[in-house]
Amino acid sequence: MTAFRPVGTVANLPNTVFGHRSAMWWGTLAFIVIEGSTLFICAVSYFYVAQRFPTWPPEHVLRPAWTAASIQAALMLLSNIPMVMVDRAALRLDLATVRAGMLVISLLAVVMCGVRVLEFGALGVRWDSTAYGSVAWATLVTHTTLLLLETVESLVFTLLLYSPNLEQRDLSGSSDNALYWYFMTGVWIPLAAMVFLSPYLL
Amino acid sequence: MTSMLEATDRDRSGRTAASEAEVVMALEQTWRPEPGLWGWLRSVDHKSVATRYLVTAFVFFLLAGLEAATMRLQLARPENRLLGPDAYNQFFTMHGTTMMFLFAVPVMQAAGLYLVPLMIGARNVAFPKLNAYGYWVYLFGGVFLYLMFFLNTGPDAGWFSYVPLAGPEYSPGKRVDVWAQAITFTEIAALTASVELIVTIFKMRAPGMTLNRMPLFVWAMLVQSFMVLFAMPWVATASQFLAMDRLVATHFFNQAEGGDPLLWQHLFWFFGHPEVYIIFIPALGFVSSIVTTFTRRPVFGYPAMVLSLVGTAFLGFGLWVHHMFATGLPQLGESFFTAASMMIAIPSGVQIFCWIATIWEGRPRFGVPFLWAIGFVVVFIIGGFTGVMIASVPFDQQVHDTYFIVAHFHYVLIGGAVFPLFGAFHYWFPKVTGRMLSERLGRWQFWLFFVGVNLTFFPMHQLGFEGMPRRVYTYLPETGWGSLNLLATVGAVIMAVSVVLFLVNLARSLRAPHLAGDNPWGGETLEWATTSPPRPYNFPLVPVVDGRMPLWQHPDGLPALAGLRTDVRDVLMTTVLDAEPDSRHRHPPPTIWPFCAAIATTITFITLIFTPWGLVIGFPFLLVAFIGWAWPRGQDHQEQRRVEAEAAVEVAG
Repeated sequence: MTAFRPVGTVANLPNTVFGHRSAMWWGTLAFIVIEGSTLFICAVSYFYVAQRFPTWPPEHVLRPAWTAASIQAALMLLSNIPMVMVDRAALRLDLATVRAGMLVISLLAVVMCGVRVLEFGALGVRWDSTAYGSVAWATLVTHTTLLLLETVESLVFTLLLYSPNLEQRDLSGSSDNALYWYFMTGVWIPLAAMVFLSPYLL
Repeated sequence: MTSMLEATDRDRSGRTAASEAEVVMALEQTWRPEPGLWGWLRSVDHKSVATRYLVTAFVFFLLAGLEAATMRLQLARPENRLLGPDAYNQFFTMHGTTMMFLFAVPVMQAAGLYLVPLMIGARNVAFPKLNAYGYWVYLFGGVFLYLMFFLNTGPDAGWFSYVPLAGPEYSPGKRVDVWAQAITFTEIAALTASVELIVTIFKMRAPGMTLNRMPLFVWAMLVQSFMVLFAMPWVATASQFLAMDRLVATHFFNQAEGGDPLLWQHLFWFFGHPEVYIIFIPALGFVSSIVTTFTRRPVFGYPAMVLSLVGTAFLGFGLWVHHMFATGLPQLGESFFTAASMMIAIPSGVQIFCWIATIWEGRPRFGVPFLWAIGFVVVFIIGGFTGVMIASVPFDQQVHDTYFIVAHFHYVLIGGAVFPLFGAFHYWFPKVTGRMLSERLGRWQFWLFFVGVNLTFFPMHQLGFEGMPRRVYTYLPETGWGSLNLLATVGAVIMAVSVVLFLVNLARSLRAPHLAGDNPWGGETLEWATTSPPRPYNFPLVPVVDGRMPLWQHPDGLPALAGLRTDVRDVLMTTVLDAEPDSRHRHPPPTIWPFCAAIATTITFITLIFTPWGLVIGFPFLLVAFIGWAWPRGQDHQEQRRVEAEAAVEVAG
């Protein structure tokens, strides 16, 4: 083996870091790119199909109702308030606030899943009736997988916060989780506009 | 040799750092691989996982090669009866699907997963559990595809599964669903590997290895990983759309209900064209490494090489429509994509001229890896020339779906990927195994392969001009295509002999003693600084880099940093741009959960072929597997608590 000539030490470096200093933050960002691409492809397909129809939605198909979608969009936007608090508390290693914030987030996530069921009903079209129904459902289903993922993750993470096995670095993990939450909720706003409002505009 | 005894300093727990032998002993103990099958299933070491990837990908290469050889035998003479039309359809679909999804992409990523941590002076990849998960998903997907093929349910609509042929109306049964889901397996594996490589390269480079000091192979893997990140979701989503059209009667590609078959082509080729560069760009990294070592001088024009890699990646996303020139697109669109297709020859050309300049200025040694690099330049350039030809719409219209296209992309892919890959195999084999491959057999293998490839694929250009279409299982004697087809088959047999020679070389070498030494070729990058094969922790200390050629700059010993813990799997994280030491991170011990998660994923995906309730059925399995994966526990937990407690004492002090 080539000889190694020590010129210093890394012994004093921290072992819990936050944000872009953490590998997990970059990993989360990469998965956001992947999931974001998938949703972007749904949007591309939506508009590709839309330009093939003389009217949008197609004839004899009702426009989607937007009450549930509005409630969902509001919930998603508002949920970022407790999430920002969790994110900042994690940075201070303030476990009590992180626990309280994550309880609120978990509850909100479960409510959002319930509202999502109503949103599917509000589409007013089946996936197998026309290509319009297919692309609208595909967008909603794809985003729902992210919502379910975040719901399960929030619930499990909240349990972990009360477990004796909790580690300091898990608080850094909660900050990375916050990043994914911002994405999941933020990306829904334009998608909701596309699925629920564009049939009134196109 | 400067002894590591000089590493003596006090670690943060107040113990006096140990002697060199004690450091190595402690690292051996902490990072030791577990024995037996259980240990093998639980391994999270990047070298172990990447070696499995390489072996598995090579097995798929052999299977796809056998399929190709069978097709060549079928076409050797007119009206041959070796394969019927149905079997032939499955053979060419399996050949293409295997080569693209189960061989070419995984083998390149596997090379990256093995070499990148060693080249950047790291101890493992950034997310070792995710890495193991990616491999198992890939393996299960590949095995599933071949099981279905052996059960006569192999996909038969071509590797790009065009609708409406692949849609529910014209392809009843489950063959296309098997294809769509096998693709999903491989995409997940490819995406996890790309995340793995990007974060490893961004956060785990040796101190001092700024972006402009990274080896060109590492640059190539970084660029390729970004391409995977942006390209693979397209085929993953498109294949799910296709599966839904077939399973739950959606209408994405159904013209009658407002869908569009051309939407499939757009979605597929937005992935499919970058796919070529996803395969080709790592190969450019291989060639740069080999050329540097075998000419004994730094590659000419490092910034131009890096910019060319990045430029190729960007342009690679702007060409997909040239696969669709025959679909009746607006003329302006055709002109744009013709221009883009021709432009991509520029960065490729820049790199080739840089290599030629390097060889010109250097002192070339014509070892076997270097021969493959030269062979790459020759064969790839021929493929590049025909690529520029078919970028032109009128020419493309003439040869579309003929054997000219088959000739073109085999020149590009075999020249651009398989030649560099064999070169890389010879070049890094001593590092991975500690053994050398025979140069004599290697030379025979190279020349047979070179002759075989040209004999197989060059006549196909003419066959294309004579109008022979792709994907026909036979042809009539009156067409006059018999003799050129026979010539192509002879070439295929020569290629097969070459691959057999390679296997003989491999088998002989693996029985030979470890004689390679650490740096048999006199390479300049960090992987040559460690033992052959490398120990599980890769390096006893963290190497420090102050240039692009660390081993040539410091022949008497590399500067290094001490202070990583030896009692836990401690790794160093550095800053993204300047690679300054930033934090220490503890890596997980071996675990079975990635394997369990891959099983849960497999249950979900395979059930989804038969019922949309597959998601519901698979959900509890996935839930258990991923909670088991993420939940801290036992020894893992105690170790981390100890590390954190000591860190807290340090901060308080």
